[in-house]
Amino acid sequence: MTASAPSSRLPLTAWWLAWLIKEIMPFAVGVLIWQVLSVLDIWPSVLFPSPFQVFRAFVTDLESGVLLSSLGVSLISLCWGFFVGAAIALPLGYLMGLHSVSRDFFDPLVNLLQAIPGLAWIPFAILWFGLGKGAVIFIIVMSVFFPILHNLLTGIRLIQPVLIEASQTLGAGRAAIIRHIIFPATLPNLMTGIRLGIAFGFRSLVGGEMIASTDGIGYQIFNAQQYFQSARIVVGMLSIGIVWLLLDRLLLRPIEQRTTMRWGLLREGIDNT
Amino acid sequence: MNTAAGLLSVRNICKSHFDPNIGGQAEALQAVSITVDHHEFVSVIGPSGCGKSTLLRIVAGLDQPNSGEISVAGQRVSRPGADRGMVFQEYALFPWKTTQANVEFGLLLKGIKKEERAEIARRFIELVGLKGSEQKYPHHLSGGMRQRAAVARAMANNPKILLMDEPFAAVDAMTRQRLQEELTAISASERTTVLFVTHAIEEAVFLSDRVVVLSGRPGRVIADMKIELDRPRRWDELAGERRFNDYREQLTRLLYGANAPVEMSS
Repeated sequence: MTASAPSSRLPLTAWWLAWLIKEIMPFAVGVLIWQVLSVLDIWPSVLFPSPFQVFRAFVTDLESGVLLSSLGVSLISLCWGFFVGAAIALPLGYLMGLHSVSRDFFDPLVNLLQAIPGLAWIPFAILWFGLGKGAVIFIIVMSVFFPILHNLLTGIRLIQPVLIEASQTLGAGRAAIIRHIIFPATLPNLMTGIRLGIAFGFRSLVGGEMIASTDGIGYQIFNAQQYFQSARIVVGMLSIGIVWLLLDRLLLRPIEQRTTMRWGLLREGIDNT
Repeated sequence: MNTAAGLLSVRNICKSHFDPNIGGQAEALQAVSITVDHHEFVSVIGPSGCGKSTLLRIVAGLDQPNSGEISVAGQRVSRPGADRGMVFQEYALFPWKTTQANVEFGLLLKGIKKEERAEIARRFIELVGLKGSEQKYPHHLSGGMRQRAAVARAMANNPKILLMDEPFAAVDAMTRQRLQEELTAISASERTTVLFVTHAIEEAVFLSDRVVVLSGRPGRVIADMKIELDRPRRWDELAGERRFNDYREQLTRLLYGANAPVEMSS
């Protein structure tokens, strides 16, 4: 959770300052410990680059455009993987949730396949799509798909039968029930599934790019290691973390919270990532 | 078939369902027949487990009987439909819709235009005393307010008959009395036909033109009593009235008798 609303009578600037300190403090302490450890010079800098070296590598990669362009490549792959994965998971989920014969058929298959991590698909991804974006997107699809499907099915299972019955006594037929009850009732769980799916996809993205691609932030990390550019490895790792943080805080969480709050199904404290 | 018999006609309904305790079919309702006339308020009472809620669900079309039939205005019905509005004990409001949108829902399904929907909904929201809460979501309403919204939602859809399944069982005693008074006033002014299920004798007497008593499992109709009390009814006036207490006493005896043959197990 982010900072709560300014309930006490602090002036707004002071409240902002308090919020900033609360948000920044953990990172500041982390960097400080890191700096102290590198000053102590226990390990050679190729094994343990200092914050300053990392910062310099960051500026270099930023100026050369490598950092932003490879992040862009990665995010585009993520988007594609997410949309393709969601485009398969959503119809399949609703089909399985609403049609018991389909559920009985697909359930064992889904159960078997979801135990296989997205990264285990790398060998086939390369065989089928060659090294490059296609393989990476395929791996992301395999990672995004199951969390979305699983949460959607949970959402359908959790629908209170009395809501469907109430809609029937108001004149709803099957199509109206699906449109007006099933879809909105599953939205909070679907949002959770989407957020988890993107988190899973994000992890596979980096792993996939290291092995199955020649571009993207994962590949840059892998590449830097080949040349013993340890500081650049850290730049890549930190940018992944920061991009995820921004994505999660600015986009995914607000969307998820807005839907669950509007639904009155506050589930604060339950956090699956 | 005699189709002239009332607005709602329940004929010879039998229902049994699987009971895991006895490992077989248990009879819940035995040849139950009830008629409800236009603008009549009829309550069904009975000991718990007598199948009165099952009976209401069968009338609503949410459960299927093993035999027997239900007709509304001479038409046989077996599936749920907008002609039989239902108010559930657990409110069953759509949590993602505001009060206004909940009340409009049935009208939306009927394809009524936006302005007209809003107008009808506004009238019923005002009728149940929820003016000012139109844009609130159900989780911001108290139990009593939720049930008012559920009543408005069912009534705005203009059903031929309103089915109510222990609608006030989940609210506190004070709120319950107020809701009961509001319901008698509204059903009288709107000339609503109501079939009301409850296990509370006083509630049944207070609200009804007739009270149907079911026996303990399997439920059979053992009495059908006219309640001749003046309307509008109010608790402060009725609580001390002799006729009210007479009805209550008679029904208590009937229910006590109805309960006796059922073996009590602890």
